[in-house]
Amino acid sequence: MTTLAQPSQPVQSRASRQRELWKRVRKTWPGYLFISPAGLLITVFSYIAIIFSLYISFYQYDIISEARPFEGLENYTRALSDKLVRISFRNTFIYVIVIVPSITIISLLLAVLGNQVRRGRALFRTVFFIPTITPIVVTSMLWVWLYEPTGGINKLLELVNIEGPNWLFNPSTALPAIMIMTIWGAVGYYMIIFLAGLAEIPEVFYEAAKVDGAGRWHTFWSITIPLLRNSLIFAFVTLTIAAFQVFTQVFIMTQGGPMNSTQTVQMVVYHYAFQRFQMGYASAISWMLFGVIFFFSALQLKLFISRELY
Amino acid sequence: MARTLSSPGSGQRDQNRLLLIATRRSFTIIVYALLIALAFSMIFPYLWMLANSFKSRTDFFTNPYSVIPMPPTLSTYYDALTIGRMGVYLGNSILYAAVVLIVQLLIDSLAAYSFARVDFPGRETLFLAVLATLMLPGSVTLIPTFLIAHGLGLTNTFTGVVLPGFAGAFGIFLLRQFFLNIPRELEDAARIDGSGFFGTYWRIMLPLAKPAMVTLGVFIFLNEWSSFVWPLIILSDWKKYPVTVGIALFRDVNQINWPAVFAGSTIVSFPIVILFVLAQEYIIGGISLSGLKG
Repeated sequence: MTTLAQPSQPVQSRASRQRELWKRVRKTWPGYLFISPAGLLITVFSYIAIIFSLYISFYQYDIISEARPFEGLENYTRALSDKLVRISFRNTFIYVIVIVPSITIISLLLAVLGNQVRRGRALFRTVFFIPTITPIVVTSMLWVWLYEPTGGINKLLELVNIEGPNWLFNPSTALPAIMIMTIWGAVGYYMIIFLAGLAEIPEVFYEAAKVDGAGRWHTFWSITIPLLRNSLIFAFVTLTIAAFQVFTQVFIMTQGGPMNSTQTVQMVVYHYAFQRFQMGYASAISWMLFGVIFFFSALQLKLFISRELY
Repeated sequence: MARTLSSPGSGQRDQNRLLLIATRRSFTIIVYALLIALAFSMIFPYLWMLANSFKSRTDFFTNPYSVIPMPPTLSTYYDALTIGRMGVYLGNSILYAAVVLIVQLLIDSLAAYSFARVDFPGRETLFLAVLATLMLPGSVTLIPTFLIAHGLGLTNTFTGVVLPGFAGAFGIFLLRQFFLNIPRELEDAARIDGSGFFGTYWRIMLPLAKPAMVTLGVFIFLNEWSSFVWPLIILSDWKKYPVTVGIALFRDVNQINWPAVFAGSTIVSFPIVILFVLAQEYIIGGISLSGLKG
């Protein structure tokens, strides 16, 4: 009896499952209606966009001419031998390698120091946070003046008897100048991330450390850092992704110059796409950047997650 | 340090206690000194920005470093708003930010409510598809988004500027989290009273979600207000430029009118500072949340 009934059961339940499904759909159809505006926009501007981008990266594609010949991997091989692309990747790597640890360490310092004091805590937090909410175009413009040969930075350096360079017009100082400004603008944001992480650490741990006679330094390394892990991973990964795509600061402050010393990948993508209208070629470069970002994010997550096991 | 302090001897102990207090004091002083130095390094560009924005051109060229304008003047603001066209840009920015704010809040909250509460088939998969777009770097979607907007005839239009900002995966995620934490009993009561899905969303859920909506709203506004690359690409007519693109234009001029730049920067930063003062807790709460979830 049971053996006979078994083969027919899945068939029957599939039919009844389908009926159940229809009943659910009929009851919950407004759900689809509610997500449809967002769904439509996300489909068009994310999913169709990314497929379209990959598609045109294999074509010679500009807006103006109708002829759009298929080129296979031509765009990619061209990018590999393009001097401008190579320089931009090098600069971007340097930028990421300097920026990501600097911002992480300084913002962590701000958060930890800010937590040590009682008076003026909110004031410090506000002051450190202001550069973060100022539009990057505005901060970039302000720093263009600060970096002028007779601007604010060199005036401050003069006070300590240092003769400052012509920051943005010197190939060896232009990229560091942009990096300093970016670090200045971003530490407030990550300070907030770390403050939230610090607030999650139970006070008991610190009390226990005190009882054991651990010093501040030791407490910091053996309690604060390990328990801030999630915030640290978040900061590191999101910073890396953002830093690889740096654009606005460079666009405002140096336009990639002098002598391509601040040319970044996103600047080159912009250059080919919107100044020379080679959309296919620019898309190929943007996919190469995507590949690099993907590789490093995956690597970081893997490294951090395997550390969890100790 | 701790080891030497625990050494016995009663006379020694008092001395050690004094030493401990002294090191603690000096530690606090060092911390404050560091914090004040860092705070100064964060704030000094703004001091100059404010001071220089109230200087006349001649005052600026003779005394660019003084923090007290002599005499203070509003003429640079007048110049920035008229000759510098900041008035037009400001109006555009307010329009863009307001439209995106209202429409995105509606579209996101409707989708978030549906994902949190309406049990339609395929819900989990579709939600994952929305979340996945958070991973896409803007660098890759920029060109195709432009080409799509171009195909729809939206280049150099107001609609073209705002349309891609009408839905946000982050907003849907944030609001869905919030809706999930609202007790179901509240909706059940509404359902019994004969409310449909939309009635429940509009009358019960939306009012309850006010804190989350404010947090998201502040983020949408800040984002749209500082948005630069997209309007730069999609627009070609200065009459439609937002303040960010407008300010960047000052850079193109050979002889930059710095006082006007400072006045313009102050005008652009002003709404944000006000917003920050009013909604500080929401902003900080929102950032903290994104960090903790991530």
